[in-house]
Amino acid sequence: MADVEGARRALEDALGPAEVLSDPLALRLYARDASMVEGGCALVAFPRSRDDIVTCIRVAAEHGLPVVPRGSGTGLVGGSTPIGDALVLVTTKMTRVLEIRPEDRLAWVEPGVPNLDLANAFRPHGFTFAPDPSSQPTSSIGGNVSTNAGGPHCLAYGVTSNHVLALDVVLANGSVARLGSESPETPGYDLRAVMVGSEGTLGVVAAVCVRLTPLPAAVRTMLFDFETVEDCAATVSGIIAAGVVPAAVEMMDRGIVVAAEGFAHAGYPTDAAAILIVEVDGTGAAVQAQAVAVEAAARSNRTRSIRVAVDDDERALIWKGRKNAFGAVATIAPHYHLHDCVVPRTKLVDVLTGVYEIAGRHELVVTNVFHAGDGNLHPLLSFDRSVPGTLERVLRASEEIVRLCVEAGGALSGEHGIGLEKRDFMPLVFSAEDLAAQACVRSAFDPEGRMNPQKVLPDGARCGDFAMTRGSDAALVAADLPEGSWI
Amino acid sequence: MDLIHPSSKADVVEAVRDANATARRLLVIGGRRHLDKGNPSEVDAELWTTQLDRLVSYEPAEMIAVVEAGMRVGELDRILADGGQEWPSDAPADSTVGGVIASGASTPRRLKVGALRDTVLEAEVVTGDGRLVRSGARTVKNVTGYDLHKLVAGSLGTLAVIVQVALKLRPLPHARRTLRFEGDLELADELVGAVHGSVAVLATPGAVDVRLEGWPEEVEEQTAMARRVQRPVATVDDAPFPIERRWDERPVVAEAAVAPSQLNSAIVGDRWGALAGVGIAWLGLDGGERELDQLRSRVRAVGGIAPIVRGAGGLGDSPVAAPDVHRRLKAAFDPNGVLAPGREWKTSEG
Repeated sequence: MADVEGARRALEDALGPAEVLSDPLALRLYARDASMVEGGCALVAFPRSRDDIVTCIRVAAEHGLPVVPRGSGTGLVGGSTPIGDALVLVTTKMTRVLEIRPEDRLAWVEPGVPNLDLANAFRPHGFTFAPDPSSQPTSSIGGNVSTNAGGPHCLAYGVTSNHVLALDVVLANGSVARLGSESPETPGYDLRAVMVGSEGTLGVVAAVCVRLTPLPAAVRTMLFDFETVEDCAATVSGIIAAGVVPAAVEMMDRGIVVAAEGFAHAGYPTDAAAILIVEVDGTGAAVQAQAVAVEAAARSNRTRSIRVAVDDDERALIWKGRKNAFGAVATIAPHYHLHDCVVPRTKLVDVLTGVYEIAGRHELVVTNVFHAGDGNLHPLLSFDRSVPGTLERVLRASEEIVRLCVEAGGALSGEHGIGLEKRDFMPLVFSAEDLAAQACVRSAFDPEGRMNPQKVLPDGARCGDFAMTRGSDAALVAADLPEGSWI
Repeated sequence: MDLIHPSSKADVVEAVRDANATARRLLVIGGRRHLDKGNPSEVDAELWTTQLDRLVSYEPAEMIAVVEAGMRVGELDRILADGGQEWPSDAPADSTVGGVIASGASTPRRLKVGALRDTVLEAEVVTGDGRLVRSGARTVKNVTGYDLHKLVAGSLGTLAVIVQVALKLRPLPHARRTLRFEGDLELADELVGAVHGSVAVLATPGAVDVRLEGWPEEVEEQTAMARRVQRPVATVDDAPFPIERRWDERPVVAEAAVAPSQLNSAIVGDRWGALAGVGIAWLGLDGGERELDQLRSRVRAVGGIAPIVRGAGGLGDSPVAAPDVHRRLKAAFDPNGVLAPGREWKTSEG
């Protein structure tokens, strides 16, 4: 039984009363992230240092509270939605850039630093932080680590995992470990790689050593528009076939273009079936060579026009519409539900056609914006949950979309993670044996199941041949998910 | 020493289960090219993966290839070249894909192409207790569950037998050039900063080789950038890289890894190559214990490691982080310790 009151007193003593919240409003605020899954929690704490995190984890363990790490709360799958008598551990007060070392192409930062602040801090040194999720002004590097966040520029530069050299983590037993190192290789298993993308279930990140990426000498951002979605997708294939891996290839269909244009006034052609934003970077000559190949691919697939950003302002404007697309859909309906399945690039058109068909059958508005170069879809179902029966239709359509992507050979999530929302879809892509092996990884870090319980793996996934975890896992099943909390 | 030579995943499962049942210890063997990396392991049988060498799928438009782990790197290179692509391992042609991944081998082109482990998108493995398990997906981005495939990369065959992988590929460059300069590590660091997008800057005793790959006009532009730093003494187009691996002329080769600015600490002797901007150095050693001990104490003082990748000498005594987690992982995936006993890194002090 959790001793919430005891935990509160201990945390207030250690962290100071201002860093611990337990009033009903705070508990309600921190009961959810940016998904629509609502949970509940017992306490909210704001550590300011690694030692504070250690204290929080020890206090939570001593008083029987599970720990739910949380960054800026922009997660879209309920990964930091707490359940039961949880202690929510919020890292937003740990926002220091500790050290920038251009000579080693690395920097140490605290987990609460917003992603965009990293890029801004590195720019004067001639570097950037490559992963750029659309949430980047808000989402924290700690959160990015927990979901192995992507972003448009991951096509050429790789996802967060490729840009994290080391992590100082506080493990479930309160011990501190440095996973990875400033050196390119580390003794032992690559625990760093496993920690990235583990959605706060293996430990709490107290500091991140990120890789600095040199700023490109030249960048060109191009905007193409097409009469058909098929031509747009074929252009993506054509670019890849020409041996070009652009920095970013983003596709938006008409619905999302109209919504984004209304917000950003980026000059998007709102009568096109789809638009394609392609960015190439590198040396001046490399940019020129890539741009020629990209434009040729677009022309041979009947692009209606080619717009090239003439300066940084225009480039920023073109990206503004794309990166704020999810906010812009509020003009369509008050609520949206989003998936981020990944499918093989060559299946994009088939899957998109299927997505339209599913939405149409369930009488829902769907708009699509996606990282076309990666095959990472983002179908947005817009709806008004106050209309009776709508939510049920959204849920059914969602599940059909996920099944469609899986049948096309895809994965459940490209960058948002599994959290609570997609947990029960895991058996669609993994066998019981696969999931048991994953449960073994989790148990190895957190044998007693204290960290962010009930996330990622569905009920019943157990580390079969690992006897030490039996029994303790059973306790997790007992804590019920909140009824009707889905969406 | 027994030999097990499975030709299917089911055969591997059976072999590993049998080893568990009969308490026989196994060493997984690919092309024998990276076998020396890892502490000595006494086993009862070798499990060869070389008959598991099928191409499962390759669509150039996806820039992903799915292959069985025993496929030789040379064979994979040929298949991918037909699609205008490559898996940038730069490993010997007779090494196997699984061996390269399991040994955590470094590509000389790491400055540009990154760590090879990041190219493993999906893996099927047979765990030490004989379970066929898959993780990851055949997509370039994926956050779906725990990345077991990243755990087995570099695990030296101590957790599971890698039987199949999906690899992220890159387009073959249209032009390749190596520029040679007279100079030292300091010049190498300067060239890393001055030549945008170079694939490698390799310092060797007295010389620095800059490797350029890309579009022909890009390579020309990069050449001009390098020339502004110093005039090269040689320019070689379309040659393999590195031009020579003189560290391989010695009986023992260590692969040191340190933060890039600490490479000076990782250099001993007169047969070495150091990847500026990356922090990897290969060192040819004569096999004496003192030389290796010296190297390891210098490297360890700057937070690095120096495992032996050819010859005797093992991994060194650097302790792992989170030793409990390491022990529990080993216990979970290889509970009876049938895979390469003793081969892993140290999980305790003393």
